[in-house]
Amino acid sequence: MMAIRELKVCLLGDTGVGKSSIVCRFVQDHFDHNISPTIGASFMTKTVPCGNELHKFLIWDTAGQERFHSLAPMYYRGSAAAVIVYDITKQDSFYTLKKWVKELKEHGPENIVMAIAGNKCDLSDIREVPLKDAKEYAESIGAIVVETSAKNAINIEELFQGISRQIPPLDPHENGNNGIIKVEKPTTQASRRCC
Amino acid sequence: MEGAGENAPESSSSAPGSEESARDPQVPPPEEESGDCARSLEAVPKKLCGYLSKFGGKGPIRGWKSRWFFYDERKCQLYYSRTAQDANPLDSIDLSSAVFDCKADAEEGIFEIKTPSRVITLKAATKQAMLYWLQQLQMKRWEFHNSPPAPPATPDAALAGNGPVLHLELGQEEAELEEFLCPVKTPPGLVGVTAALQPFPALQNISLKHLGTEIQNTMHNIRGNKQAQGTGHEPPGEDSPQSGEPQREGQPSASDASTPGREPEDSPKPAPKSSLTINFAQKAKRQNNTFPFFSEGITRNRTAQEKVAALEQQVLMLTKELKSQKELVKILHKALEAAQQEKRASSAYLAAAEDKDRLELVRHKVRQIAELGRRVEALEQERESLAHTASLREQQVQELQQHVQLLMDKNHAKQQVICKLSEKVTQDFRHPPDQSPLRPDAANRDFLSQQEKIEHLKDDMEAYRTQNRFLNSEIHQVTKIWRKVAEKEKALLTKCAYLQARNCQVESKYLAGLRRLQEALGDEASECSELLRQLVQEALQWEAGEASSDSMELSPISEYDEYGFLTVPDYEVEDLKLLAKIQALEVRSHHLLGLEAVDRPLRERWAALGDLVPSAELKQLLRAGVPREHRPRVWKWLVHLRVQHLHTPGCYQELLSRGQAREHPAARQIELDLNRTFPNNKHFTCATSSFPDKLRRVLLAFSWQNPTIGYCQGLNRLAAIALLVLEEEESAFWCLVAIVETIMPADYYCNTLTASQVDQRVLQDLLSEKLPRLMAHLGQHHVDLSLVTFNWFLVVFADSLISNILLRVWDAFLYEGTKVVFRYALAIFKYNEKEILRLQNGLEIYQYLRFFTKTISNSRKLMNIAFNDMNPFRMKQLRQLRMVHRERLEAELRELEQLKAEYLERRASRRRAVSEGCASEDEVEGEA
Repeated sequence: MMAIRELKVCLLGDTGVGKSSIVCRFVQDHFDHNISPTIGASFMTKTVPCGNELHKFLIWDTAGQERFHSLAPMYYRGSAAAVIVYDITKQDSFYTLKKWVKELKEHGPENIVMAIAGNKCDLSDIREVPLKDAKEYAESIGAIVVETSAKNAINIEELFQGISRQIPPLDPHENGNNGIIKVEKPTTQASRRCC
Repeated sequence: MEGAGENAPESSSSAPGSEESARDPQVPPPEEESGDCARSLEAVPKKLCGYLSKFGGKGPIRGWKSRWFFYDERKCQLYYSRTAQDANPLDSIDLSSAVFDCKADAEEGIFEIKTPSRVITLKAATKQAMLYWLQQLQMKRWEFHNSPPAPPATPDAALAGNGPVLHLELGQEEAELEEFLCPVKTPPGLVGVTAALQPFPALQNISLKHLGTEIQNTMHNIRGNKQAQGTGHEPPGEDSPQSGEPQREGQPSASDASTPGREPEDSPKPAPKSSLTINFAQKAKRQNNTFPFFSEGITRNRTAQEKVAALEQQVLMLTKELKSQKELVKILHKALEAAQQEKRASSAYLAAAEDKDRLELVRHKVRQIAELGRRVEALEQERESLAHTASLREQQVQELQQHVQLLMDKNHAKQQVICKLSEKVTQDFRHPPDQSPLRPDAANRDFLSQQEKIEHLKDDMEAYRTQNRFLNSEIHQVTKIWRKVAEKEKALLTKCAYLQARNCQVESKYLAGLRRLQEALGDEASECSELLRQLVQEALQWEAGEASSDSMELSPISEYDEYGFLTVPDYEVEDLKLLAKIQALEVRSHHLLGLEAVDRPLRERWAALGDLVPSAELKQLLRAGVPREHRPRVWKWLVHLRVQHLHTPGCYQELLSRGQAREHPAARQIELDLNRTFPNNKHFTCATSSFPDKLRRVLLAFSWQNPTIGYCQGLNRLAAIALLVLEEEESAFWCLVAIVETIMPADYYCNTLTASQVDQRVLQDLLSEKLPRLMAHLGQHHVDLSLVTFNWFLVVFADSLISNILLRVWDAFLYEGTKVVFRYALAIFKYNEKEILRLQNGLEIYQYLRFFTKTISNSRKLMNIAFNDMNPFRMKQLRQLRMVHRERLEAELRELEQLKAEYLERRASRRRAVSEGCASEDEVEGEA
């Protein structure tokens, strides 16, 4: 029987870039133009096979508005991966992305897998952020980058597959603090502690 | 009567003779009476004429018409014209072969003239006039029939046997002359030429005038007599007739004798009758002194009134005669005096002895003559002047007469008009339908039709009244039936709802069982799980179909609830679909069961509630939830209670205009969230709805109202709920203000959301206190509840609870404040405590917590937990906890800041070291 690895993934990014839509597309393969803005966070799971493992993504979708940043640590704490989303049609969202990257670098779990998603690639005719910039930046921080469209279901699966690949294979000598959570061994970290 | 009639001829025997004696010799003028009478009657009574109404015309214009009838002697024809003045007659009636008739049953005054060719119906003004006319016509006809033998020859043949007639012919002129009296006695003014213009008085004038002529004539006679007989002065009027009377005595007496004798025989022939009348008239003329007899004779045919009139007339005549006689006597006296003077003078002259004396006398006379001549001259002059004045007077008189004539004409014309009009009126009155068929008929017909119509309408009205009465009873009956049916229907619906609820419960239990089975079996028995999956699938499909058909027919619950929220949550994940179904079914069953038992008494209490005043009762009522129809009013009141110190008129508009002038930094975020607000509510998803625009304005206004908050995600939900309930955007705005600025603690929605985070910690403490077992269980599975509950507090359950529970929470929340949020948050966990305790996996718990609020369907149960089971719940405790946690949080934040600073410092120093060692940035980051 295949082992199931539970991977906590949080989505970060500016408001309205499409975090919830990406999750919705990934988990439910469904797109809604108007998903209610996330307050606090929303939680979803999806299991995908990866090699000889099953990866169960525990996805925490967060609120985008800046004043909710103070809550973010609750979500990215203990995350194996973070999907940082920007809107290719909004330069501002790319700056916000950089801020998130910085915060994760400063306060996030070590070895957290970062994936940059340039969402709304279906609107590339009004693009503000060149793919090149994103690629260069991703390279500079060692993150995977992909342009997605939750609306048209472009690169959504690929995004999570990329994350799966970046997750180091189950190591019998794992130290348990690399963000990989096993079903049998949930982390004992106090959830309430704020960083 | 008969006696009188017999007496008459005897007593009057003297009179006729006198006239006949004067006439017989055919001597022209010196006749006193016949002379002046002839002159006066030339125009008047000789003619038979007068106004009569003639019935004639053709077709619709048949009717009585006033006509001027006059008789022509020569042709024996009765002519008639429109008026007396008309020159040419309209037509003539040949009387020679005519028969007259009057009918008793006919109207007064109507008589007929029947000629071989036609029948003329005439009408006299009175019965008397009619009789007069008939008599006259009879007479005229008779005259005509008897006249053809040459008039001059007849007198001698008079003795041949038709004495009276002969006598008539002989005295024709005289008879006609006497006719003059007849019209006077008979209807005055109705017949004769005078009837045309001048009525009776004219006759009198004429006769008075004649008196003057008579006197002159008498004077003449006297002179003649005097010259003939010397001084013999006897009244000539009496003398001469009487002298001649005896000569003709026999003839009139014979005629008189014959007539009375015939009369009783009642002969139908008109001739004797007419002759009789004439005889009487003759007698009346002949004997002035025999009035009684004369009048008595008259009364045979005339009424007593007539008699009196005749008598009066007679008296008048006699008075006049007497007067003239007296004057005559005076004149004769004067003449006598003059003659005596002359005689005296002559005798003096003759007596004078000497020539001288005679000469003297003559001279004296001559002087006298000269004197007299002068006097004559003077008198002549005087006379001339008098004549002149007379002529002037005459002129004046003439003018006046003309004037009078004019007036008379006018008067006549007017009278005619009046006559015509009155005639018409009487006609209209008497014979409305056939006599005046034109207008009156039309009017009449109109009237009749109107009456008929009225009758019809009355009938109709009666019918309608009956109908109305019937329909009223019908309505009453039907209403009663309807009420009964409605009651039955209601009962059935209640029953149905109950059954449906039961069914829902059973179904949900079944589905829950299936779900648990599915979970329990897991992957082990693939056959079983396959079967199970099939069953679940079936259940889902079958139910969906049934639910839709149900909701169509019976259930008041549609796809959307009364505030526009979707009733079945749109869960895409397969396993949650089942849960969603279960939940929807449960909600529905609760709703259906609660309809009668709970909602109605509540509604009644709310309806009975008067003005809203803060009270314990109101608090209880608000906790139980406000019925939908009262909610907007109640919320407005609640909001007003909280914001009245902030509320200024025009404030909202001012904020809006400020927003139009300048874009708020939050506007972009507001715009971004606008279309993402309540995607499960039709009012916000519908493209044509006005709610998004209202929401935008409310949020923009608020961003200006409170710049420290501006816009925080979540406020859109609060404002949207306020809009859905209150509908009016200004009210919704104030509701938002009330929540953010007065109910929630400060810094709840600010940049750091400090107060919100504090509340999460407070909730943890409260949960630990109230639900220690649950908290231990959650702690065991490392479940951080704040990940879930943060949202609850920030938007007051707007994303979590189904709308009917949500709004009840808000009802209490707006009145009592944040305490209510805590109570409900605790209650929600308590409500689902067993379920959570059953879950033995953190992941499962998180998954369950994600939607479990929506599975709460029994609002009463939840309310009871919130407000009863969670007691005691004191504000003091809440405040203390908040204070403690705020301090702790702030300390932590400070610590964090310090850590950050330290880290940055450390990193900076390390970077400096690394840069010296030329390490890659990645490595540095990784190490960090």
